[in-house]
Amino acid sequence: MQTFARFSVVLLAGALGVALIEPRASAQWLTYPTPGMPRTADGKPNFAAPAPRSSDGKLDLSGIWTSVRPDIPRDDNPVGPNLKDYMPAGATIPMQPWAEELFKERSGRLGAGRPSERCLPHSIPDAMLVGSLKFVQTPGLTILLYEEFNHFRQIFTDGRPLPPPLQPAWFGYSIGKWEGETFVVDSRGFNDQSWLDDWGHPHTDTLHTVERFRRSDFGHMEMEVTIDDPKAYTRPWSATVRFNLLADTEMIENICENEQDNAHTQPK
Amino acid sequence: MGRRSLQAVAAGVMLLAMRVSAHHSFAAEFDVQKPITLTGAVTRVDWTNPHAHFYLDVKDLSGALVNWNFELTGPNGLLRRGWTRTSLNLGDIVTVDGYLAKDGSHYVNAVTVKLSDGRKVFAGSSSGSTPP
Repeated sequence: MQTFARFSVVLLAGALGVALIEPRASAQWLTYPTPGMPRTADGKPNFAAPAPRSSDGKLDLSGIWTSVRPDIPRDDNPVGPNLKDYMPAGATIPMQPWAEELFKERSGRLGAGRPSERCLPHSIPDAMLVGSLKFVQTPGLTILLYEEFNHFRQIFTDGRPLPPPLQPAWFGYSIGKWEGETFVVDSRGFNDQSWLDDWGHPHTDTLHTVERFRRSDFGHMEMEVTIDDPKAYTRPWSATVRFNLLADTEMIENICENEQDNAHTQPK
Repeated sequence: MGRRSLQAVAAGVMLLAMRVSAHHSFAAEFDVQKPITLTGAVTRVDWTNPHAHFYLDVKDLSGALVNWNFELTGPNGLLRRGWTRTSLNLGDIVTVDGYLAKDGSHYVNAVTVKLSDGRKVFAGSSSGSTPP
């Protein structure tokens, strides 16, 4: 009876063109097959399959994503992401004079003193550039789970407006809506404590960001982030980040519990 | 190699290209001009985030034992590189390639570790440098 039932399932799966994976044979979550992942005939993830859609016909951005490191001449990048590396060659980040001074000071000490050293958030957009993040798209709410430090962020898509800035937040407050095939996220209400990137581009609490997400196929997504902070920058400016989907794996808890590095960081 | 192993390797290869740990700037703490190789016996292991640490008793030139602290990436990065919580045991003799801390302390950012079973594993810490 069991054999017959399994045989039927195999037939059905074959008819649907879906490769059958045996979940019970792989108990490790680290390599657990992603449910619903389109696969090629040999069972490998098919990252070029069409992007999935939710029941309301919109593109579905759900999945575990990681940003693609830009092609920078020196691969070491021992300080961390710099938003300038995600802009076209020759582009400049238009800092106000005080912001330029602060940036020179932070990058001059090679990023020492950055909030993440004390287990504080990378915030927006830096948190999008580090490690893996999971988009969970539901009607009315898209949740971003960040593996780095187990942080999360809510993007409300239920039509509510952004709130007045009662309580400035590390990740700000975000609302999102679809413009055709692009998911547009509007965020305000940031506190002034985070750095825009690991090199220390600054921002103030009047920061307003717009992130535009476009999933081109199952395995690839692009985000254009616009930084609009007149107190820190002379005009809005944008950077473009590409993401690859991580298949057949899972995020792991990362509670920042044992901070030892603070005592060792040196300004030079 | 079975499909499961292939998947694990594929996932691992993809993740090696991922910026695993941005907790702090490598350059602010360690000196990429000061590579070091040390061998010693494990005295302590902290399997913690944001960085795992282990400590070795290493003989200095006079033969005295000096305790060194080695920084690895966090358990997330280590598990994806083939480590487990029991990869290092007290008393194991291991050899570490890494970079010295700038502040002159007995503190090293580990890049690769040769475990007591002879396997060489990448420690994946914040240097950002890609493994061999």
